[in-house]
Amino acid sequence: MTSLATELVRSGAPAAPRLLALRLAARELRGGLRGFGTFVACIALGVMAVAGVGSFSRSLSDGLAREGRAILGGDVAFSLVHREIGPEERAFLEARGLVAVSATMRAMARAKSGAALVELKAVDGAYPLYGTLRLEPAGPPAAVLAEKEGAFGAAAESALLARLGLRVGDRIEVGRMSLEIRAAVDGEPDKLASGLGFGPRLLVSLEALRASGLLQPGSLVRWHYKLQLASGAASDRAVQAVAAEARAAFPHAGWEVRTRANASPRLERDIERFMQFLTLVGLTALLVGGVGVANAVRSHLDRKREAIATLKALGASGATVVRVYLVQALALAVFGTGIGLAAGAALPFLVAKAADAVIPLPIAPSLYPLELAIAAGYGILTALAFALWPLGRAHDIPVAALFRDAVAPEPRWPRRRYILAAALAVATLAALAILFAFDRRIAAVFVVGAAAVLAGLQVIALAIMRAAARSPRARSTIVRLAVANIHRPGALTPAVVLSLGLGLALLVTVALIDGNLRRQFAATLPARAPAFYFLDLQQDEAKRFETFIAARAPQATLERVPMLRGRIVAVKGVPAERLRPSSDAAWVLQSDRGLTYADRLPEGSRVVSGEWWPAGYDGPPLVSLERRIAAGLGVAVGDSVTVNVLGRDMTAQIANLRAVDWQSLGINFVLVFSPNAFRGAPHTTIATLTYPDGGDETRELSLIKALAESFPAVTVVRVREALEAVGKLVENLLVAVRSASLLSVLAAILVLGGALGASHRHRVYEAVILKTLGATRGQLLAAYGLEYLLLGLVTAIFGMLMGSLAAWYVVAEIMNLRFVWLPGAALAAASAAVALTVVFGLSGTLTALSQKAAPVLRHR
Amino acid sequence: MNDFSETASRQPAIALAGVNVSLGRGTARVHILKDISLQIDQGEAVGLLGPSGSGKSTLLMVMAGLERPDTGRVTVAGTDIVGLDEDALARFRGRHVGIVFQSFHLIPTMTALENVAVPLELAGAPDAFARAARELAAVGLENRAGHYPAELSGGEQQRVAIARALAPNPAILVADEPTGNLDEATGRSIIDLLFTSRAERGATLVLVTHDATLAARCGRIVRMRSGRIETPLAQGASA
Repeated sequence: MTSLATELVRSGAPAAPRLLALRLAARELRGGLRGFGTFVACIALGVMAVAGVGSFSRSLSDGLAREGRAILGGDVAFSLVHREIGPEERAFLEARGLVAVSATMRAMARAKSGAALVELKAVDGAYPLYGTLRLEPAGPPAAVLAEKEGAFGAAAESALLARLGLRVGDRIEVGRMSLEIRAAVDGEPDKLASGLGFGPRLLVSLEALRASGLLQPGSLVRWHYKLQLASGAASDRAVQAVAAEARAAFPHAGWEVRTRANASPRLERDIERFMQFLTLVGLTALLVGGVGVANAVRSHLDRKREAIATLKALGASGATVVRVYLVQALALAVFGTGIGLAAGAALPFLVAKAADAVIPLPIAPSLYPLELAIAAGYGILTALAFALWPLGRAHDIPVAALFRDAVAPEPRWPRRRYILAAALAVATLAALAILFAFDRRIAAVFVVGAAAVLAGLQVIALAIMRAAARSPRARSTIVRLAVANIHRPGALTPAVVLSLGLGLALLVTVALIDGNLRRQFAATLPARAPAFYFLDLQQDEAKRFETFIAARAPQATLERVPMLRGRIVAVKGVPAERLRPSSDAAWVLQSDRGLTYADRLPEGSRVVSGEWWPAGYDGPPLVSLERRIAAGLGVAVGDSVTVNVLGRDMTAQIANLRAVDWQSLGINFVLVFSPNAFRGAPHTTIATLTYPDGGDETRELSLIKALAESFPAVTVVRVREALEAVGKLVENLLVAVRSASLLSVLAAILVLGGALGASHRHRVYEAVILKTLGATRGQLLAAYGLEYLLLGLVTAIFGMLMGSLAAWYVVAEIMNLRFVWLPGAALAAASAAVALTVVFGLSGTLTALSQKAAPVLRHR
Repeated sequence: MNDFSETASRQPAIALAGVNVSLGRGTARVHILKDISLQIDQGEAVGLLGPSGSGKSTLLMVMAGLERPDTGRVTVAGTDIVGLDEDALARFRGRHVGIVFQSFHLIPTMTALENVAVPLELAGAPDAFARAARELAAVGLENRAGHYPAELSGGEQQRVAIARALAPNPAILVADEPTGNLDEATGRSIIDLLFTSRAERGATLVLVTHDATLAARCGRIVRMRSGRIETPLAQGASA
């Protein structure tokens, strides 16, 4: 301090005030970072989260792009549902390079031990065009899958071998064909592009599939044609050109064309969406850290009041003082940001190393300057946004502070310029968060929500203090002391409410989202959820199937719905390729969809606009549309929709819009036509089977086995297993969410610890005086414990409320799932927060209690 | 006047025998009080006089139970306080000893009234606030009851400290340079207040000072130098 003052006098302030501020700041920082640990750690944690998520996301999308050819399985891929390509289309492809043909469908594999749903993939001799199919024992795919001694070969994922108790050399049956397991599939180069599977992979040859009898009209089979361009003509431009030529030459082929540049657009979109969510969680960590920054700056300035007053007494202006401490804050922010960037940049490398065997994602770890720069910007801006306000107050610290020991700086507003500067930093931060977001609407909601939570917590802190001040004087000294400590000037209340409230709100949000997602995919199925879906049930088998089920599961309900495949080719007369649907409705236009027709309104639906057609309706074709899709396509009741089914265009007028409860897990379609629209058209049947009591494992497994024997071509999807498969994926995503949230919660704990630590000096002094006046350690402990408990409890209630609200928004509004408030998860998070406050607070207090009185009293 | 006078009749108010205190560790260890023996009778006013560093404040801390001697016996109001644990010591202090510090040591986050009420509340007095208000009025600060220490002048703060020390009617009042942080006029009024209140209640007073005139107002002066008592029996003018 003395050196600061001397320097100020010697330098002649007006000559170089800016440099002076820098020099003074540097001199103060020379004393080390004591008291700034929380500041630096908070910024570092937040920046690490944002930089880590950003870098990882980029490394993943880069990896996807680099491996695009292997993931797609070709330079260009064409896929069709139901039908194989015709001779003209084949000629077009073969003229441009080497073609590999494959077909995928779901089917039942039967062995002596039981039956299981498999993701069947039939390939020709050219497979794979790119990448390597890893088999154990190794061998050329064509040879492994070839017919030998009356049996086709097959390669199965080890999960299937384990489930049916098979070994290489054993036989299984699929449809009407007998297969010999010749190898286990260890790695499939183009697996990522095929999306989520409900069963293990079974690889066979195309010849085997054709011999199996599974290829019936209407079977849910998808044909893939992967094209390897001649090596000289495989530039990116050539690839795009081939795709464009194909679209132009065969506008009505109904095939989905993908190039190696967008091998799995859906996966990429999902990754971006998910990464945005993680980025928001990372920004929350920064936000919590910002509160820590504000606390640290405030208590630093509190400690420096005397030094600041002395500087002013020696002629420093308020602005000079603010500059000195602003330079310090910026230096600390840069330091923290540096640490965060280093850790964040390392994340993709670490994940790539650790997860190599666990997730089959093509991570391409590298340093991503743009992502790191964005994270650094967030870090510095957060520090500024939260430090400027308390720093501005230093401008007006009176010289009189030297002569009077103030309780705490009076809560005075800083000058307008500091308020404006802080507001500018906040606005830039918000703008960046929205600008760089994948979905700006969600980012905007996040920004508004975060501001509301921060403001709300401030109001709550004030309200708590006011309520404590006005509460009737308690009889017990301990209670009175505790309550009084909550509202006194310089009380911990605002710092604790903000840090604990934010941390808890986030913890409750994540716990509730977590719980809701698990609930969605775990054992708690809706009460009347079907046990099975049956796919590919042919018209001529329907009667026999019904009789079979009635005999095998007499108590269960079988519901059958006709199904056709078709593609929307025009809406309101505008061709599909010229439509601009919203992002959540675009998928209905991308390829063939399942369609149905019905006389009555399907279960789990209700009409929200228009009217359902009368029974036996026989007028012009009508269609009912799901309301969200209708909104996404921009259509209303009365508009027309044209679909292409089995090569024939059919236009229907929209009679009504439906709200569909997809979570009932019943059969429901986006498009439901009036029965006369498809009279006489060949179709398959999709059916569900529901047990009145929910079904059980033994019954379900034995029914699968019996069905697989009697109806080898019918695919049985066990709902429980399908949900488990999705649940496993969700579980993996939740791990990432939890890890990112952990950083925010860690930041909150740091901030809370910092806030409680900053008050330590006051606490020790207070405890010593109280002991001098006759307070026992027990009394002090009880009073402080009660204070922390009261603060923790009140904050926990509000944190829980805010967290629940945020979780509801994410689950119900963003994920479109049913939100259930889970008291267990919320209360567990709240109790943990309260316990943490009390333990943190008391652990600091214990050292205060063991302090010897004499030295403290002597040195004040 | 004294609530506890029956239990302590005939005994000396404070008795120290062979008290030694060292502070610090290793080579920095300083022997502050050297073999101190001293007896102070009930109702007596004693001035501890000595230059800075002579050990007078430490001696006062020992009498108030705020510093533990390395060796020796300390009996205050008939209780051997060396054997008491920290909590028992705190309770003992709360009932028997009132302390006034040079730097006031008011709790900055409590109002004047609350500061005075604290020792009464800690002792479980049911009428703590009524008594505190009376004590505050007695030092002339009834209008400042709701003010925080930072809002009071130095003299006012010390008045609050005196009211706080007297509130539980302690048998013993100890004051460590109570006028050290005050101007002369204010200091004089504070000393008047201290001596008047003590006389009214018949409490024993031990006053640490380096001001000989002030010490002379006590019935007895104990001079200290380098941790030893120089003139244990020197008599001064009566209060």
